[in-house]
Amino acid sequence: MSITAINQQLLRAIGVGIAVVRGDDFQFVFSNAPFADWFGKPDPGSPLQDVLHDIDMDGVRAALDQTGRYSGEISVKLKRRTLVIALSISGADEETNDLFVVECQNITRIRELESMIDSYSSMVERNTRELEREKERVERLLLNLMPRTVYEEFKTFGVVTPQLYESVSVVMLDFVDFTRFSTNHDPTVTLGELNDIFTAFDRIAEQFGCERIKTIGDAYLAVAGMPEPSPDHMRAVANCAVRFIRYLERRNQSHQYKWEARIGLGTGSAVGSVVGIQKYVYDVFGSAVNLAARLQAFANPMCVVAPDSMKEFLVEEFHLDDLGKQEIRSFGEMRLMRISPGIELARKAGRF
Amino acid sequence: MSKALFDKYGGFKSVSRVVMAFYDKILDSDQVGDYFDDIDMPKLIDHQTKFISSLLGGPVSYSDERLRRAHASLDLTHEDFDEVSRLLSETLAEHDFTPQDIDTVISEIEARRTCILSTGRS
Repeated sequence: MSITAINQQLLRAIGVGIAVVRGDDFQFVFSNAPFADWFGKPDPGSPLQDVLHDIDMDGVRAALDQTGRYSGEISVKLKRRTLVIALSISGADEETNDLFVVECQNITRIRELESMIDSYSSMVERNTRELEREKERVERLLLNLMPRTVYEEFKTFGVVTPQLYESVSVVMLDFVDFTRFSTNHDPTVTLGELNDIFTAFDRIAEQFGCERIKTIGDAYLAVAGMPEPSPDHMRAVANCAVRFIRYLERRNQSHQYKWEARIGLGTGSAVGSVVGIQKYVYDVFGSAVNLAARLQAFANPMCVVAPDSMKEFLVEEFHLDDLGKQEIRSFGEMRLMRISPGIELARKAGRF
Repeated sequence: MSKALFDKYGGFKSVSRVVMAFYDKILDSDQVGDYFDDIDMPKLIDHQTKFISSLLGGPVSYSDERLRRAHASLDLTHEDFDEVSRLLSETLAEHDFTPQDIDTVISEIEARRTCILSTGRS
């Protein structure tokens, strides 16, 4: 077999579509089987554009003139499938350019796979976005259960170390006759009322630098000075307390159900921690909490009672009434006072 | 349907092969191939990738409404549906899915027969 015959044989056998066209008029000189499979067998003497209908001949000529090589893509419909063929045309002999080799590769599968990858990545991206949103939801939920700094610790270390805060203040509120109300009304009504009021309390607490720790039935417990220490914690809880009362007074004027509350303030040390493994609850313990609970029980409806020890921190801003020495369980005898809005606050309140 | 099938058979790495093989089969099928005659290739592949992934419990859900819309204009027959279902089960078998898992997938697709065959004219 001659070299020419071997060459021709090779060109016929490979899976790449090959054609040879003349340099001057682009008429076919040769084409192999894959080429014919895709574009049909060119009639001898027919020019390239008659076989590759979509080809941009001006583009081909320009590219060949400038760089000696044209690369492009052409699509051809074969039965039901649109094939994408990568086309490359270059001179067979760099010197003379009297013959061009047209090389065709079937890149349909590559394109199909690219489409599939696009499709899949859009799925995955969408999922990732959904997961992100889900994560945010979980985070928001956890932030309802514990203060942000505690949540950050929990997220980083997986545990929350109980922490002692030497000086914090607590405000504890409880409704008068709540049990009777809840017995006499549909639970959804009770819940709706509590939800409404506690949501308002949360806003007030946030505004005055307190953090709600929990609600137990109708009891509402918020702290100041933890987890972030604050020198102002006594004023913070007193401010919250008088505004809770004021909120209820205002609300009672326009709502069907009238609510009265007792509020106790406490100050001292407390430990804050997440309790539980599966069911996380951030909770606080300590004398400040116990004191607030005792004083709350002691308070008359719509009154705020605090220990006398808070006096020097509150005297400028609030109106304080001495309640004398009282026997408080597990605290012994202690001097108490009632807190109501100071002149400034009462004046502001009157304006609205 | 278990999320496991998608993961059990190696996630997208293998599912992509199933999709490609299935795509070839339906294009070559004399019963249903003609429906795909003028369809836009990337669109078809997108549809099949998502649909098959969702059948296998992959990271996508393909709503019945979307299936209905995709097929509404085609006026498909039960024979067409059966053919596609057969081709899918054949493809899965060729990709070493166990008969039990194939049944699971086919019953998933069977559950959607009415949406797929719905023409929108009822």
